Amino acid sequence: MLAVPEITSPDQSAEKRANMREPFLEVIGLRKHYGGVQALKGVDLKVQAGEVHGLVGANGAGKSTVIRILAGVTTLDAGTILLDNKPYVVTDPQHAARLGLSFIHQELNLVPKFSVMQNMALGLPKANTLGLINWRAVQREVKVAADRVGINFPLDVPVGELSVAEQWMVSIGRALVRRARLIAMDEPTASLSEGETRRLFQIIRELASDGISILYVSHRLDEILDLCNGITVFKDGQAVLSTNVAETNKQALVYAIAGRNIATSSYSEASTVSSSPVVLETRGLSRGRSVKNVSFSLHRGEVLGLGGLVGSGRTELARLLFGADRPETGTIYLEGVRWNSDSPDKAVARGIGFVPEERRRQGLVLDQSVSFNINLPTLHTLRFAPFIPLLNHRKADTTAQAISNRLLVKTPSVHTRVGDLSGGNQQKVVIGKWLTRDLKILILDEPSRGVDVGARAEIHKIIRELGANGVSVIVISSEVEELPGLCDRVLVMAEGRIAGELVGQEITKEAIIHISYENTINETGDGNG
Amino acid sequence: MDNRGIPPESAIKDKVLQAPRTVSGKPFVFVAKYGTLIGMFLMLISFSIAAPKFFASVTNLVNIVNQASLTAIIAGGLTMALVVGEMDLSVGYTASLAGVLVTGLIVDQHLPVPVAIAVVILVGGLIGYINSLLVTKLRVNSVIATLGTGSIVVGFNFAYSQGVPIASGVPEAFKNIALGRLMGIPNNIIIMAVVLIILWLILNHSEWGQQIQATGGNIEAARLSGIRVDDIKSLAFIIAGCCAAITGILLASLIGSGTTSAADGYLMASFAAVFLGSATLKDGEFHILGTFIGVLIIQIGFNGMALFGVPTFYQYVFRGSILIIAVGLSTVARRLSKR
Repeated sequence: MLAVPEITSPDQSAEKRANMREPFLEVIGLRKHYGGVQALKGVDLKVQAGEVHGLVGANGAGKSTVIRILAGVTTLDAGTILLDNKPYVVTDPQHAARLGLSFIHQELNLVPKFSVMQNMALGLPKANTLGLINWRAVQREVKVAADRVGINFPLDVPVGELSVAEQWMVSIGRALVRRARLIAMDEPTASLSEGETRRLFQIIRELASDGISILYVSHRLDEILDLCNGITVFKDGQAVLSTNVAETNKQALVYAIAGRNIATSSYSEASTVSSSPVVLETRGLSRGRSVKNVSFSLHRGEVLGLGGLVGSGRTELARLLFGADRPETGTIYLEGVRWNSDSPDKAVARGIGFVPEERRRQGLVLDQSVSFNINLPTLHTLRFAPFIPLLNHRKADTTAQAISNRLLVKTPSVHTRVGDLSGGNQQKVVIGKWLTRDLKILILDEPSRGVDVGARAEIHKIIRELGANGVSVIVISSEVEELPGLCDRVLVMAEGRIAGELVGQEITKEAIIHISYENTINETGDGNG
Repeated sequence: MDNRGIPPESAIKDKVLQAPRTVSGKPFVFVAKYGTLIGMFLMLISFSIAAPKFFASVTNLVNIVNQASLTAIIAGGLTMALVVGEMDLSVGYTASLAGVLVTGLIVDQHLPVPVAIAVVILVGGLIGYINSLLVTKLRVNSVIATLGTGSIVVGFNFAYSQGVPIASGVPEAFKNIALGRLMGIPNNIIIMAVVLIILWLILNHSEWGQQIQATGGNIEAARLSGIRVDDIKSLAFIIAGCCAAITGILLASLIGSGTTSAADGYLMASFAAVFLGSATLKDGEFHILGTFIGVLIIQIGFNGMALFGVPTFYQYVFRGSILIIAVGLSTVARRLSKR
């Protein structure tokens, strides 16, 4: 039977949904492999019209592969897909769009220089007899969609000038312009604030009540439980749990995702760290509007969190420390000596490692192997002998193997192309790059973004081990749940400044949120547009 | 290291799952990977059958490799530039300048042959370095930058030679470099083998080579891994320039004179060879062995056409088609391997 879950905003949506017994989208026995990795081992999935269906699971469990197949980006090896009870065979993404399926990826695939209007009209065949675009007709259609998602900003501004949340609204609007009947969203709230998230949820619920199905991919289980009607949990390429939201809870989901109980990290004992020597110190560091007069010190073996909202200047600060950008004013002292950090290679030579925010674009050479990537910062240690300029590949592989064993990287071998691994495993490789050398400071920017609960717990464990071994770690995170329990000390940034410092027991989700918002609201007047 | 918490089965399971990895659904990749080799052997066999006495003789086969060796050297250098993710359209003109300069330095400036050669190779490297500065410091697109330097190089060439070939007074010692043999093997082949082996070692077995590959694969990731990407690009361009100079010198030695535009044609041939090679054995990845095979294929084609007296214009058509087919194969191979 089809159980209709309790819906928070009842009205007509419940009865609409109840009328539709036949699933709008049905996936049966889907199989797919990439290289040596079996991504899907026979997956079933049912989505009703007007249902918000959550897809959860560890990275590499198969969620994104299902999405990619539905979008026509990848071909399936075996299995059946039914749309409205008719076989659904797509050859390319445009085809999928014509059949009413829209996909919004994390990267949002918008053209930054195009206006909101142009972006929403992209791919819409609206030409008159002369083959020219009839902008007036397009405008009418776009307006309707824009109103539906509540876009209240001008339609002629370039999308590149909008916030991430606004870009999401544009993407959803674009799906509506294309008359989407199903919209798949991949980690939509990853870069959104709480307020923006609430706004997005409201839009999603309205779309669902209009009969549009939503496939909602997220690692944030609280959101899934709050928003979705049905949930499918993926694990190792299989759908291990298909359930109604009313019949499950967070613990059950976590258990289904991980197949084991994940020890929730608790706060490590009152830190002795502050008494240990200072490794890095900054005084009055500034760059543009993103970093303003930042002074702090980092102790040996300390795990220092950088909290705050997206755009508060944390990534920019990290890039200054690593020499990826240069400060306009201010000084950095490394082990007590003034240090001119002007290029990453100097930082690396001094024992500083950096795990960037976007691992695929900034962290990995995707076409190369796991071993190649892990050994990249330390090639000079891999010579047969100091005077022979040739590399010992066996030594490289042994090192890579040891690192991937230590970090539990799931890969057929160290020779596997890194691009074929799942997100969480890719992230471990990026971290692993820095463990081959004498590391003094490791800076991690959003280390667990897009990473499943299991891998996240493992990454946290690695971070704490590094701290215990005397490595100073800076962790940037937009997820307020992440920093408590992981960090000895947290600096909360707002509007480019350090707005607050929390130590030990003071580090709580509430305190971080409080400081971030308290200090952001005051200055939003001249904030970024 | 021990395993912590994760059931070991998962690792084993993933190992077992490698089994379904087949070439199924990837016939194009197969064709691209081995098609070039098959094509080469088909050409060899059909030419041998058609002209058994001439084509299939040892002399002619050695001749093919001998002729291929100049292209192979310049194409090997170009491979480095392409691996690092840049184009170098100036290599042909650099080779021409090298030929004029080396003969001029010997005949007019009376430099000893080895000194002249060393100077000219340095000049080739300098042109490469200038190319790289335009690309890394001025951030000019490498196609445009090297198109520009290529033309400037032609200008210098004319300024130095006044457009008149330097033919008289070229010493035998210089001519004998390309014409001589060592233990029966033409010197050109030996020089090519040495250059290609060095390039192969650099690219696949040295820090520099790994850094060149990383920079070409993802420049931002390479930079954030502590690689000095600008220096690495310079290195690749310098190697390309030096190799171009070596080819130019050998050509001047072979024809016994320095002629202003003698080596210009190597640009097309080497690009065709490198792209053809990138679709050979690998999925659209530039590599030295592939480049060598690409050069052989082109040379066999030319040799066959010359043997059968095919009109000259067909040779141009052949070279152009090979370039387009090669780039096409390379791109298709790369795209399909990622699906």
